[in-house]
Parts: sequence; structure tokens; C-alpha cells
Amino acid sequence: MDYFILLTVSGIAIGVIYGLIGMGYALIFKATSVVNFAHGEIMMLISYMAFSIASSWTLPFWGLLLVCVFISAIVGLVIERVFIRPMLGQDVFSTVMVTIGLAVMIRAVVVLIWGADPLLLPTDIGDSGVEFGLVFLYTSQLYAIGLLAFCVLGMWVFLRFSRMGVAMRATAARETTALLMGINVTHVYAIAWAIAAVIAGISGVLLGTIYGLGPDLWTQGLRAFPAVILGGLDSVFGAAISGILIGVLENLSEGYIGQGLKEISGFLVILVVLMIRPYGLFGTPEIERV
Amino acid sequence: MLNVNNVQIVYDNVIEAVRDASLSVDEGQIVTLLGSNGAGKSTILKGISGVLYPEDGDIIGGTITLNGESLIGRKPDEIVRSGVVMVPEGRQLFEPLTVEENLMMGGITRSRSGATEALENVFDIFPRVKEKRSTIAGYLSGGEQQMVAIGRALMSSPRLLMLDEPSLGLAPQIIAEIFAAVSDLSKQNNVSVLLVEQNAELALSIASYAYIIENGRVVMDGPPDKLMDNEDVKEFYLGFSESGHRRNMRDVKHYKRRKRWLS
Ligand SMILES: Nc1ncnc2c1ncn2[C@@H]1O[C@H](COP(=O)(O)OP(=O)(O)OP(=O)(O)O)[C@@H](O)[C@H]1O
Ligand SMILES: [Mg+2]
Repeated sequence: MDYFILLTVSGIAIGVIYGLIGMGYALIFKATSVVNFAHGEIMMLISYMAFSIASSWTLPFWGLLLVCVFISAIVGLVIERVFIRPMLGQDVFSTVMVTIGLAVMIRAVVVLIWGADPLLLPTDIGDSGVEFGLVFLYTSQLYAIGLLAFCVLGMWVFLRFSRMGVAMRATAARETTALLMGINVTHVYAIAWAIAAVIAGISGVLLGTIYGLGPDLWTQGLRAFPAVILGGLDSVFGAAISGILIGVLENLSEGYIGQGLKEISGFLVILVVLMIRPYGLFGTPEIERV
Repeated sequence: MLNVNNVQIVYDNVIEAVRDASLSVDEGQIVTLLGSNGAGKSTILKGISGVLYPEDGDIIGGTITLNGESLIGRKPDEIVRSGVVMVPEGRQLFEPLTVEENLMMGGITRSRSGATEALENVFDIFPRVKEKRSTIAGYLSGGEQQMVAIGRALMSSPRLLMLDEPSLGLAPQIIAEIFAAVSDLSKQNNVSVLLVEQNAELALSIASYAYIIENGRVVMDGPPDKLMDNEDVKEFYLGFSESGHRRNMRDVKHYKRRKRWLS
């Protein structure tokens, strides 16, 4: 039982990060119908930028996070403006190819600027942590749980109550009608990219703090991908919950069945789930067109 | 107020959807545009609203002006701001959103307070919509959806309201309700209406001027009584021949193949 709890809790701790990363994928897919294959790379880019900032100035964790949130938003807007907007009017597939190209570019740029050696993201929370009975959680892991909760709540409030958020849902539902009503769809897309990049930035800073940096950090984006599929590509909240599910599942399968299963258990689960619910656990079944 | 002159519209650079369309709508006037399936009615409305580009459509000739200013090439949101808004064919609500959210999106070009004010106006015009304000729009009945679609367009306080087949698939009594509301709107608020319909009888009953379009060309126009006297209009659009008997579809189709409209 203790072993089970241990595995579950540490699974949640990594799962919340999958959840955060997944929310970014889902938001962009929901708003623009594009799967952003560069999401993990954007996350990595910002975590390296965080490294540079943290090495130049001594900032407390929250200060660093705040600076990175601003930088991420700008990174998101720039990427949208430079790489994605020119693709408007092309089919979605071409845009997805652009994100793949972008991913490869970012990987190269990161190695060029910061080198290929692993780095530590210096923050003031370091190795501190809290003991809960038999489980020990790092402060950074606790922050990760809190930040996922905060992002989920923030997204909910944004999508439900802000005009831009409602416009984003409207655009996701019917783009041409959104145009007809005078919604500035280009603007909506740009904001979606900015928010997704901010979420990527938060997950990047967390990953850097918890596990350190390396030029393969982008693979965490792939690891989180089953969560997005499981949640239903277009469900931002589904991605958050599924992230936790996948994290726990990976840990349990590794702990009870064996090494190596960790990497594939997420993908195995989505195979099974998609057979039963092709639109994911929380996704929208193809809405009937009246 | 709105002037469409010799407009030509193609899709994908080759498909000529509108070959030569001219029409005008004056302040406070209800004008109807009649025509059979594929005549090009919706395409004209999309051209006016500036939403041809997502479908690879393009206006390749002619002019569209609102109070003398060209609308061609302007962005859809600018066109809404200038007072021209469209209720698309098939209602096209944002199904996953609530009724109120749908309406608020219609008021996106206005300030938040302006939109809230407009919301109350829409509720006055369609009390039934108010009752359903927190319902998910996709769950409404067809009639309620049409009211929300019209209400949503009214949220921008348009000077010209364009309706694309609002009667499609609705029961007569709901149609009457909706048409009465549109007619009141034009009379009381001096809103101009461009009404696209397949149901000619209905449309001619509230319009003060009508155009008939066939194969992308406006082939006939005039006040309703003049058109209603026309034998061809009776035949095709009002569905009865001189003898007063409804012809069956096959006869009409056969006849249609032989006969072309002459203006
Ligand atoms: N997106 C598109 N791409 C290519 N051709 C199109 C497109 N939309 C419409 N068309 C063609 O343009 C012509 C006019 O279509 P339009 O939708 O304007 O007709 P309509 O008069 O509104 O007909 P209906 O009464 O059936 O709605 C048709 O021949 C149609 O096939
Ligand atoms: Mg049509």
C-alpha cells in the first residue's frame, strides 16, 4: 500500500507537468485546429531563457516565473506572427508541417546558444521540500501542482467570462460565423498562441527547476502528448486531468510491471481509450451540424 | 444606401457563381432576393459581408458600396462596424456556447456596455430568447435558433440586416412570428433589410421591392405586385399556373429547361 501511495504521489507530481504541457497543445488545437508539434520545443526554449535570466540576476522563484511569463507571451506572439500567420488560408496540414520545421529549428538554436551539456536552473527553492508521512515532495513539485490548479482555474475564468475567451470558443466552434459577427479571428489566434506559450513557459521553468535542463528537454512535450489525445485534443481541461492520469499510470506500470513500460504505457492507454471513445475522454464528439 | 453594381464572383478562380448582379437597398426598405437553389443568392450576401475569402471566393468585377463607400476589400469586422450584418443560411449558431454568449458575440464590435444594452433590446424583440438565455444554443429548437441568429446579428445595431433564408425548415407560425419581428424592426427602427428567400410568397408579402436571380444573373426586378402578376414568377416561384392548379415538379422542371428568363 505504501509503495502504491508513493508511486501515485510521485506520478501526480510529474503528471501535473504533463497536464500543463497538454493544456498548451489543446488550446492551440481548439482555437486554430493545428497540432503544434513545436510545443515541447517552445517549452525548452523558454526554460533555457530562464536559465540565462537566473544566471544573470538573482531572482526568487516567483520573480523568475513572472519574467518568464512575459517573455513566453512575446515568444508566442512572435512565432504566431512570423511562422503561423503567413500560413492562414493554407490547409491545416501545411501549418502542422511548419510547426515541425519550427521544432527542429528551435532544437538547433538551443544547442547553438546554450550548448549540449546538461545545466541546472538555479532558483532559491533548490532542494527544499516537505515530508507528507512517507512521501517527500520537493517544493518545486508542490509549486507544480499549485500552478496547474492555477492555470486550470485561470483558463476556465478566461474562456467563460472574458470577451476574448468567449470569442475564442466561438471561433473554435464556427470560424466563418465568427468572422461574420466581426470577431477578429487573427487576433484570437495570436492570443491563443500567446497563452499556449505562457503555459509552455511555466512548464519549462518547472521542469528546469525539478529535473534540470538538457537539449532533449523537448521530449517531455512528446511524453505529454498521450495526455492530450486521452483528454480529447480540443479539451483544455481534459488535457490537464489526463496529464495527471498518465503520470500516475506511467509510474504504476513501471513500479509494478517493469522498467521500460513507463515510456510506452501512456501510448498503450490512448490506443485502448481511443477504440472506445475516438474523441478522447473529454473531447467533443463531432458536433452534429444542424 | 447599399448599391451592388454588376458584381461578378468566382470561386476557386473558375467557378462563376455570380455573373452579373445589380441591386440596391434604400434606408428602411425591405428588399427581397429570390431565386432557386444555386442561383447565387448566398454568394452575393457573402460578397457584401466580406467573407468570400475563407471559401476561396473572389469578387472579380463590379462595385459594392454603402452610402457611397466601397465595401469590397474591407475586413468583415469593418463591414459589421459600418452597419452591415448578415444572418447566415442555416443559422450557424455557436452551438457549444450559451444563448447569451452567442448574442454577446454578435455585439463584439461594440463596447461591453453597448452590447449589454443591445442585449436587452434583443430580449424585448424576442422574449422567448430571454427565457433561454443560459441554454446551450445547440439544444434549442429550429425556431428558437433562428431567433437567436437574428438577435445575434441585431446586437451590432445594424443599419442593414441581411437574412439568408430565415424561413428554412421552420413551422409557419414561427415564420410568421419572425417575419413580423423583422417587419417591425424595419418600420420602427428604420433598419434596411435584404431578405434572401426561397419562399417567394412569404418574401413578397413583406418586401417593398424584389429581385429575381437565376444562374448568377439578376433577371427581373420590381415591386412585389408587379412580380406577382408576372406569369413566369407565378409559375416558378409561387407554384401555380394560370389555371390555378399546382403543376407537378416534373412539369415545372421540364418547362424550366426550355424557358430562360428575359429581363
Ligand atoms: N465554396 C464554394 N466553392 C465553389 N463553388 C461554390 C461555393 N459556394 C457556392 N458555390 C457555387 O456557387 C453557386 C451559387 O451558390 P450559392 O450558395 O450562392 O447559391 P444560393 O442561391 O444561395 O442557393 P441556395 O438557395 O441553395 O442556398 C452554386 O453553383 C454553388 O455550387
Ligand atoms: Mg444560399
